[in-house]
Order: sequence, then C-alpha cells, then structure tokens
Amino acid sequence: MNILVRFALLLLLVTLTSGCAKKMLVALVPDPDGKIGSISVESAAGSVTIDTSYQATTIGDPQKMPSTPAPVAKKKLDKIFKEALSIQPEQPLHFLLYFQEGTELTSESMKLLPDIIASIKQRNSTDISVVGHTDTLGSKEYNTALSTTRALAVRTLLVTQGAESNAIRTTSHGKENPLIPTGDNVSEPRNRRVEVVVR
Amino acid sequence: MKSISMGVLVAALMLPCTWAYGSDTTHIGIVKSLAGDVVITRSDRTIQAEPNLRLQEGDVVQTGPNGKVGLILEDDTVISMGFDSKIALKRFMFQPNEKKLSFITRVFHGTISFLSGQIAKLAPTQAQIETPYATVGSRGTHILIQVD
Repeated sequence: MNILVRFALLLLLVTLTSGCAKKMLVALVPDPDGKIGSISVESAAGSVTIDTSYQATTIGDPQKMPSTPAPVAKKKLDKIFKEALSIQPEQPLHFLLYFQEGTELTSESMKLLPDIIASIKQRNSTDISVVGHTDTLGSKEYNTALSTTRALAVRTLLVTQGAESNAIRTTSHGKENPLIPTGDNVSEPRNRRVEVVVR
Repeated sequence: MKSISMGVLVAALMLPCTWAYGSDTTHIGIVKSLAGDVVITRSDRTIQAEPNLRLQEGDVVQTGPNGKVGLILEDDTVISMGFDSKIALKRFMFQPNEKKLSFITRVFHGTISFLSGQIAKLAPTQAQIETPYATVGSRGTHILIQVD
C-alpha cells in the first residue's frame, strides 16, 4: 500500500477514536465559602443528581443517560479548568444597612459607608446595586414604597461620599428576598434592610 | 392641551427605543475580568469585550484560543470561561418583588465555571444551564462544565 494512503488511514483512525468522542463533563465542587450545593444533569433519557463535592458525570449522547456520578480528582479538574478558574472574579460584596426610622440609618450602619466607598474603589466597581428589602408585615404597596425610598436615600449618601452616580442602580425586592425567612405578616427587624452590592 | 397629548404620544413612541438601547436600565451584569480575545455578539453586532462592559439578556459571549473572561451578573452569579468557549445568556429575569425569576444559560462549548446566585436560591427550578447533551439544574453551588 502507498505510504501516503497508510498515513491517511492512520490519521482517520486517530480522528475517529479521539476527536469524534465528543462529550460533556459536569462536576460539583465546593462554593468559595465551603458549602456544597446540589445539581441535576438531565438528558432525554433521564437525570442524575450530584450532591457530593468532587463528583462528576459525563455524557456523550443526549439520547442516553448521563453516567452514574463518580469521584473526580481535584487535580484533574484544576488542570481542565485552569484558565477558567484563573480569571474567575471575586464574588460580589454585600453590605447590610439598617434604619432607625424613616430613611435615617442607624449609627452602626452609618459607620459602614466608608467601607462601602473603599471597596468600590478597591474593586474599581462600575456596577453597584442598592436594594431595599422589607419584612412581611403590612401591605405590599407601603413596603415597596418605603424600601424604595430607603434605597434612594442610601444612593444619595453614597454619591455624597464619592460614588459615581451612574454606576449605581436602585431597586426594591419588597418582602420577596428576606435575609431571615418568616411566615406572612411577621415583624422581623433583620429583614427591614437595604443591601448594597459591590461587583 | 393638544401639545401635551402630542408630547405624551411622542414619549410613548420613544419608550420602546429607550428600552432597546438604554443599556443603563436593561443591563444584567458586567464583564469583570478579561484576557486575550473575547467577543460579545448582540443581535447582529459583534462587540470587542472589555472590563466593565455591560451585558444584556441574549448576549453571546465567546473566547478565542487565547481568550478568557469573568462575568458577574446582577443576582451574584459568577461565570468564568477558559479558552475557546462559547455561551449565551439566553434569559435573565431578577425581579423578586414581581416574582419574576429566571436564568437560562446556553453552553455551546468550552470550559466554564459557574457560581450560581440568588435566582438559583430563590427559584431553584428556574436556574438552568442548557448544553448540547443535557440540561444542568443548579441549587446554589459551584459547577464546572466542559463541553467538547
């Protein structure tokens, strides 16, 4: 056989056995704070759940089941995801601010403002959220209005202290994103807050 | 009176434009860290990514052979992508007060790290990563995905 043909066949074989074996790997690893979550991986044939860290499943055909989750070495994941992990940004910072009454911050919360400004500068952040939250007591309209007013007051304070106004977006999550989950119509001072998120 | 109603009409007509182009009100996150070639495809436009670029729902993010990028979304989701990777931010709704919560990412190929955020926490069934092989559902966690 012509040596060129042989070479072409060899190349084809290599391509078929390695290049075409396309597949996906999904692994669960600990959050930066050490917590382990849970994921489901669902194909047309069914789904598997992973709730242990450093476990992975693979799938090469969407019509087949994902493989039974099995341990995967941290070293292997670090190698495959080296570049992705090397560029991973720091998680956003959350600052919790509380009020005496109306839109007046408690003195402890006032003391946090310089820290917020410092972190905005340190992260060179151009994307800051100021989010009003309430507890579950009272009407939705009243709570939304009050938490929005409080968020706007915090925005003004931050701008006064040097934050860029067009980098800040204010919003209200009302009672729908509580720090401490409660039933309805429950007074919970820890939920009546404004969160500043610095990205 | 006539001029006032005309003004209202003009304002109403302009509103959709403001929504379409007003990235200040519609952005869902930002490009936070970046190296090498990274492009964003938005509708029919291709934008060279740069730090602090504001992301919109529907954006397709693609890294080149030497490109990598880190994104932070409004709900605290942190996504980072290695070389030769491509994803689409298909749907992103983070309005808890209106009970509108949904986040769908499409992974086409590459190596991607996901740190899920508040949407996955508040509405676990509404946070999904679609891939050519399977759909990954997340309940508040750190996920690594490699798609050939």
